[in-house]
Amino acid sequence: MAVIETERLTKRYGSARGIEDVTVSIERAEVFGFLGPNGAGKTTAIRTLLDFLHPTSGEARIFGLDSHRDSVAIHARLGNLPGDFGYGKQSTGREALRLLARLRGVEGLGRAEPLAERFHADLDRPLGELSRGNRQKVGLILATFHSPELLILDEPTSGLDPLMQEEFLALVTEERERGCTVLLSSHELDEVERVCDRVGIVREGKLIAVERVAKLLAKTQRRNRVEVEFSKPVELEDVRQIPGVVDAEFAHANLEEVFLTYYKEGEEG
Amino acid sequence: MSAQLGALIAAHLSDRRRSLLAWGLPLGLWSAFIVIIFPSVEGALSKAVQGYPEALKEAFGIGELTSVEQYLQAEMLSLIVPLALGYLAVRAVASGLSGAAESGRLDVLLSSPVSRSRIAAASFAATGVELAVVLVVTVILTALGSLVADAHLSLSAAIAGYASVWPLALLFAGLGIVATGFSLRTTVVTGAVAGALVTMYVIDLVGRLDPDLSGIRYASVFKYYGNAIEDGIDPLSFICVTLAALLLAALGAWLFERRDLSG
Repeated sequence: MAVIETERLTKRYGSARGIEDVTVSIERAEVFGFLGPNGAGKTTAIRTLLDFLHPTSGEARIFGLDSHRDSVAIHARLGNLPGDFGYGKQSTGREALRLLARLRGVEGLGRAEPLAERFHADLDRPLGELSRGNRQKVGLILATFHSPELLILDEPTSGLDPLMQEEFLALVTEERERGCTVLLSSHELDEVERVCDRVGIVREGKLIAVERVAKLLAKTQRRNRVEVEFSKPVELEDVRQIPGVVDAEFAHANLEEVFLTYYKEGEEG
Repeated sequence: MSAQLGALIAAHLSDRRRSLLAWGLPLGLWSAFIVIIFPSVEGALSKAVQGYPEALKEAFGIGELTSVEQYLQAEMLSLIVPLALGYLAVRAVASGLSGAAESGRLDVLLSSPVSRSRIAAASFAATGVELAVVLVVTVILTALGSLVADAHLSLSAAIAGYASVWPLALLFAGLGIVATGFSLRTTVVTGAVAGALVTMYVIDLVGRLDPDLSGIRYASVFKYYGNAIEDGIDPLSFICVTLAALLLAALGAWLFERRDLSG
């Protein structure tokens, strides 16, 4: 059974666009990335799944439960790192953890201490005195300290330095190995390419492609990465048949190029 | 009371601990000052009040100022304390809802297995406790002032006078939750409810000043506020206003459940 299933999920803000007809299914222990630039609708999709926004139409089910009617039961089994994490300036991370542990019925602080050590997070300073990156570490710990079955991470590495980004990617991999499903949104194409099993490309509120990362890369590699100018896509064999050509190969495309290809196609179509 | 509700109330009060002192100490010290100076100004006050227009005395609940209780009513309980506590109530309840939404805390709390209505209930209950603590601090400092100045303030009368402010202020906390159902901006919530607070006070004042307009007083909760320091608490008014506050809070929680939490 899929952990997350949406069927034509739509959220509009009056006449303004939010997300439109988003249909996706995310399996257990899968790392799925919503990929798109700022304003594409990634955060709206996540907030609708979390029941922070009520859908205009369509439906979403998490763990087989209705995302609106059963939101409390669903939230007991997930961890969420909101985009641009904040909790108030005067509270410390430890105070926030204590409250969340009581709300979740977790003994002590779960695995918060080892996580704090791993991410060099200061849990005892008021959050208002921490840099954005250090606040983000605390937010990451709040989302994961209770070992949830589903992790929802909205722009998780924003503000983290490269070393901590590496540590974060390692944590996501470990969570998947533990059996946790991870849904993350990002516009950092490199990190999505490295950690996600599948990606959904979001453009102007619509999910325009859902593919395994490897397949997406291979598909685009086959189609576009011949560094010779042709008027239409060609096969390598055809190129090799051109008189005088000794060899031909496709250059490796990265996910950023795939992403840009989809966006250009969308704008042209 | 569930463990979740208790945890949320405790967290709310912990966040507001500075506010408890910031409001309780000034109100208490001011009230104590009024009691302390009463013995020295008593005679002059009586003469001055005799010269006041009857309508003015009626409007501000000023009768004879021959006792410290009457003086406390005129100086503190007829205007300053109810307006101040009403404003504190909406500030307190807004900090737990719209303030939490603005800081990002609401997203974190609602990502745990807790409903929006429970967060609204906790915010309302914590505000009730906060108001009670501020009033207790005020009464204690006032009683100390009476002891220092030997003003012979009746402690039971003082408790009744200050306690009667509690349901009135709580009603504005309930209105604050209703306002949160429409806006998650703290300035909008506090502005709208503070406006309602002042408007209700003015409506009651106008109704008292002009007997032909006395009917409009039913639109104001101040009609049911009275003068408890001299007359004692009217249990019916106390209970009805408290119930009205609870109903408003329940309505607000219902609206809060149904609204979007925009990012």
